[in-house]
Amino acid sequence: MTLLEAAAALRRSETSSAELTAAALERIERLNPSTNAMQTVMAEAARERAKQADQELARHEGRGPLHGIPIAVKDLFLTQGVRTTGGSRLFENYVPDHDAAVVELLRAGGAVLIGKTGMHELAYGITSSNPHFGAIRNPWDRDRIPGGSSGGSGAAVAAGMVSMAMGSDTGGSIRIPATFCGVVGLKPTYGRVSRYGAMPLGFSLDHMGPLTRSVRDAGAVLNVIAGYDSRDETSSRRPVENYVPDLEPSLHGLRIGLPENFYFERLDPDVDAAVRAAFQAAESRGAEIVPLRVPDIAAINTVARLILMAEASALLEPHLEHRDRFGADVVALLDQGRLLPATDYINAQRLRRAMQGEFAELWSRVDCLFTPTAPITAPRIGETTVTVGAENEDVRLAATRLVRAINALGLPAVSIPFGADRRGLPIGLQIVGQPFAEALILRVAQALVPEEVPVPPL
Amino acid sequence: MNNDRTNVCSTVCTKDWKKIARASGLSIPAAALDRIAQSLDALEADFRPLARALPPDTEPAIVFHAATLTAGEDAE
Repeated sequence: MTLLEAAAALRRSETSSAELTAAALERIERLNPSTNAMQTVMAEAARERAKQADQELARHEGRGPLHGIPIAVKDLFLTQGVRTTGGSRLFENYVPDHDAAVVELLRAGGAVLIGKTGMHELAYGITSSNPHFGAIRNPWDRDRIPGGSSGGSGAAVAAGMVSMAMGSDTGGSIRIPATFCGVVGLKPTYGRVSRYGAMPLGFSLDHMGPLTRSVRDAGAVLNVIAGYDSRDETSSRRPVENYVPDLEPSLHGLRIGLPENFYFERLDPDVDAAVRAAFQAAESRGAEIVPLRVPDIAAINTVARLILMAEASALLEPHLEHRDRFGADVVALLDQGRLLPATDYINAQRLRRAMQGEFAELWSRVDCLFTPTAPITAPRIGETTVTVGAENEDVRLAATRLVRAINALGLPAVSIPFGADRRGLPIGLQIVGQPFAEALILRVAQALVPEEVPVPPL
Repeated sequence: MNNDRTNVCSTVCTKDWKKIARASGLSIPAAALDRIAQSLDALEADFRPLARALPPDTEPAIVFHAATLTAGEDAE
């Protein structure tokens, strides 16, 4: 059941928040041992909150579509009185005294916070094979990674533990688990959703967004969490809008960019075929397909990697006196960041500005771009390289290759499931829009995936 | 971003990461430096030509507000 379907059932008194919460807890109890998606389960607090929500709904004091719905948040969102680890031993005993802005808004919207999802250590990686809290497993194939860093959120939503889990995305960390787990993952425009109270990784690259079982659910959540927050220096004052698309939106008059360079180079053939089919589907719904060349995405990826390394290392360097508290992959990235000169960081931010200008020109020709979210489907746990086409590629670099640049550009992007590979593993389509075009990309996504995402065989 | 400055230097110098770490006072074990050197060399090879091609009037994508914003002002 999607979030909005559950909300409608609540309004019709066909179910209660207490029943929804009990069902979610039962599913977590049954499936978490084999997926490790949830790091912390707040069963008692959730039951109590659900009871309150039912009382409020009975008094017709509804707070919107999230009221009474069980949800989860990635374990880097601060939660008052509830341990927040960031997937790290550094913070294994950290209990915040306040909520992150996103958590405040979700609670104010009446959501029932049922737990915290597991993640890649410090959000600095894409496997979610966490050395401290255990590997998170993909519900579609538990020998495979769910992607990351919001891997627990992707796995929890795919497994139906919750209909929505919040994630964060610094170099693809919402969209990669969305594609590997076969769910919807929305990375809004930089500044659209407050970063306040979310443990940072890369200050200028971090984005917060939902993973859901339908496109309309992602819009409903964005309606709640979007907006200006004075506590986040980069928060936008641009007015919010209704982000929930119609059930069957039209694509007539929309121009969809088909990249002729970069994005369709070095793909798994199944991914290539599935994403090309998305263009045909959009065209059949009235969209115009516009082939075009995109700016140098490899260069933007390089710039984004350098910025992230410098920002993450600046942030975490004080903790590096205790190297044994980090996983090997994370400490290796942090060491690299410490060796970069300040001039490179500044020049990367200058290049970012120039690339933003080059990319902005695209939006006079198209309304959005279609690309694969990842060139591959979910790799096996422990794999460090994958073969894509004729080449071996580092798993992290392959998984981030088609998504990382979008963080540097701050653009909104949504990943939706679109087909499966020969093994039945989900494939993701990435839809990228111009700044603050969340409503448009969700409308396009809804036209292509109007139903709830498929459920893995569990 | 392409201009004449691109041709000022077309080679990428290999950096000695161990010496840089030592000179910076970073306590990174030698074995760890060996493991990351290849990644850093690859990043250097990709990044240096881009940085060299930067037009001088391009400002970084970092904004500093001298005063705290008040209601009605926009940070964008």
